[in-house]
Amino acid sequence: MSQIPSSEITVFTARRIRTMTPSAPVASAVAVRDGRILEAGTLDTLRPWLDAHPHRIDDRFRDHVLTPGFIDPHLHPTLGALLLPCPFITAMEWRLPDRTCAAVRGRDDYLARLAEIDAGMEGTEPLVTWGYHRIWHGEIGREALNAISGTRPIVLWQRSFHEVVANDAAIDWMGLDRADLARYAQVDLAAGRFFETGLALAMKGMGPFLHAPQRFIGGLEQVKRAIHLGGHTTIGELAYPLADDAAEWGAVQAVFGGADVPFRMQFVPRGAGRGTWSSAAPEQELERVNAFAARSTDKLIFGNGVKLFADGGFFAELMQMQDPGFIDGHHGEWMMAPESIEALARVFWNAGKRIHIHCTGDLGVELALDILEKLQWERPRFDHRFTIEHFGVSTPEQARRIKTLGALVSANVYYVHELGEAYWRASIGHERASQMARLGSLAREGVPFALHSDFTMAPALPLNSAWVAVNRIGESGAVIGEGERISLDAAMRAITIDAAYVLGMENEVGSIRAGKKADFTVLEQDPWEVDPTALRDIPIWGTVFEGRPFPLAG
Amino acid sequence: MPPAFVVASSRPQASRPQSSRPESLRPRIPVTLLSGYLGAGKTTLVNRLLAAPGGRRLGVLVNDFGAVNVDAALIEGAEDGVLSLADGCVCCAISDDLGQALDRLRARPRPPEHVLLEASGVADPLRIARMAGGWPGFELDAIVTLADAETLPARAADRYVGQLVRAQLQAADLVALTRTDLLSPEAAGAARASLRALAPETRLLDAPHGEIEADLLLGPRSATPAAPRSQARPQGACSPLPSHDLATVRSALWQARGPVDPAHLTAALEALPPAIHRAKGVLRAPDGAALLVQKVGARAALSPTPAEPTDALVLIAAGAPEALGPALAEALARLDALPPETAR
Repeated sequence: MSQIPSSEITVFTARRIRTMTPSAPVASAVAVRDGRILEAGTLDTLRPWLDAHPHRIDDRFRDHVLTPGFIDPHLHPTLGALLLPCPFITAMEWRLPDRTCAAVRGRDDYLARLAEIDAGMEGTEPLVTWGYHRIWHGEIGREALNAISGTRPIVLWQRSFHEVVANDAAIDWMGLDRADLARYAQVDLAAGRFFETGLALAMKGMGPFLHAPQRFIGGLEQVKRAIHLGGHTTIGELAYPLADDAAEWGAVQAVFGGADVPFRMQFVPRGAGRGTWSSAAPEQELERVNAFAARSTDKLIFGNGVKLFADGGFFAELMQMQDPGFIDGHHGEWMMAPESIEALARVFWNAGKRIHIHCTGDLGVELALDILEKLQWERPRFDHRFTIEHFGVSTPEQARRIKTLGALVSANVYYVHELGEAYWRASIGHERASQMARLGSLAREGVPFALHSDFTMAPALPLNSAWVAVNRIGESGAVIGEGERISLDAAMRAITIDAAYVLGMENEVGSIRAGKKADFTVLEQDPWEVDPTALRDIPIWGTVFEGRPFPLAG
Repeated sequence: MPPAFVVASSRPQASRPQSSRPESLRPRIPVTLLSGYLGAGKTTLVNRLLAAPGGRRLGVLVNDFGAVNVDAALIEGAEDGVLSLADGCVCCAISDDLGQALDRLRARPRPPEHVLLEASGVADPLRIARMAGGWPGFELDAIVTLADAETLPARAADRYVGQLVRAQLQAADLVALTRTDLLSPEAAGAARASLRALAPETRLLDAPHGEIEADLLLGPRSATPAAPRSQARPQGACSPLPSHDLATVRSALWQARGPVDPAHLTAALEALPPAIHRAKGVLRAPDGAALLVQKVGARAALSPTPAEPTDALVLIAAGAPEALGPALAEALARLDALPPETAR
């Protein structure tokens, strides 16, 4: 028998290793070679490997707890890159690599924080801050911003992205003619507010600033650190490209392609390019999507997934709702025509693709399930992993139907924390708001589900998402929708092995077992030992990515 | 995926916004918004209009460039999502950024005189109209919604798109029923009735074979002195203009005797027979100011204009051929009945 030369084995020992493999859920040592796990167990059970091959014991994690590297199967690094360079003033706490933004609520506190940021800036560099929301910060208009600075452009970018408020210096800086603004329906010049379509005017002026190459690359670098900060080792970019493939791919390769990046990305291409969402050539879209595969590397992976969009944004209240709809009677929107979604889904389904479909309201979910039912009837598939993405509002019956049709869910459960109470009071009423992201129903039906952040819609902190899913604590601190809480086991699966399953990567990552990538998240405490309400506060030491430790500090 | 996040441009650009000069001296370019659900016939109409723009230098913005079908002999250039035609017309893809598409049209060496904007099939037309109509350098002409006579009743009742389809109809200044030529007269009548029930306030016209005459869709060109078809006649005598290709559309010119009182004129415009779908012209107010007078569907608007008054209005009627003559005659009579004003 010939000896194949291979690298030395590293054995990581730890206070505890949570493998997320029910067959052997706890271990104390894991042997790693060439970036892969040889075996998890104890130093005793690992003995045959260690007797046969050169090895070293690395006990730096003797006081730590290892879990499989966390996986966020749905976020948007390029969007994050536009946002992270902005100072945040938010109603909820945001932990970011270079700063923790404490929760700021109330008009006075908001303006005080804004003035503080202004005072810390040089010259007349523009101040574009993100996170303002009327519900928490009251009415703030042009005059209030003028009072903070008459010379520095100040722009408040609203939490849901659908509005900005500008001072006079910012209106000048944007190069907008006040006579043009005065006749624009969705600009309130007196208040300095640009909302809905009016936002396009503000963005026309701010675009060159927000998209400046240095700022964008710097933003991507911050996103890279934010992803590491959350303890991720695998992420899904769930609608590639954001807009401009050529520019984005170059930046993505430069920032995320290097050996020093402690995570891999799976790119799920848009099933239809932006702006051609009513296009009637699904076969061409399939060709376009398939062509991405040639770019795949170990780090930047184009898998079998494809992304489609049903109804509008959840933070923008543009989800499509079944009766009785919204309290104020407004309607949601379709991001693609239902017929187009079906035609595209059919072509992707028949090509064996894994379809991820953005659904925010219960009518959006219903449409997705109707389409899936038709496709199953026409051409049955097993293990198709058709995934409902976001899963804002749904019905209990839909949870059962998801199970029946073999679909999966990737949920933004953070909605419950930030919007649960706000949507109870001002959008859809208590019953449906308290049951948004109904993970408890999915667990009872046995539907596999993942948790995601849709970063920057929610913080890219998997333990924070798990904390919301387990506790369902609303922004006031009260529990909302306790019947939809899930167990800690289910929540931890949803950020590890079940998230891997949603991305079709469960044979490579998501648990600690022989043969998988040696990806670990290194925690200072054991999630199974802390109070469930303290889950999000567990400090993260860092990660191990393909066998190589990446501490957060330093 | 975050909601409708507006990205002005994905291409990194210079680090500071350029300040743009107020251009109040340049007239705003009118935008006609073409709305309608999938399959309503928007692409057919766009293709026909590009083939025969009626002498206009037209800019057409479409969602899906691939569906545009123009005679290759007419194409002068195709680059970067812009199709330039020999007659000065251009067709551009909106891509993801309507504002940028409008800016690009206006920045052309010879900007279009009029823009036809094809809304996406799932767009709320009011939202797009607000944006395009308010965009610097542009103003809204009208919202025209197409409805497929064959599928309208089912679409309007559909669980997923019914609300959207109804909203598209209700937002329109003019609704054009397409594919009536494929239906029996009874079925076409039923489609008309169902449309009237869905959008009782909206002016309705037929667009058999997916055609709407350019003057009806976009408004008459002859409101300006340079326009070719100005057969002036003294106020008080009815003289329909030469009939057009389609027998279901006719126009007439009304010549004012002098200045008109804006309030009286508005009242008269609002009382025109429903078959008068458009009216346009530049008249004089008693104080001598030039007034751009426009009527589309049921909506009439008077606005100050730098243009020279012609003291004439072009009226366009559409509908059953036998009704057009009487409708135009009644319209002219109503306008003639305006009390005379003396210039101050």
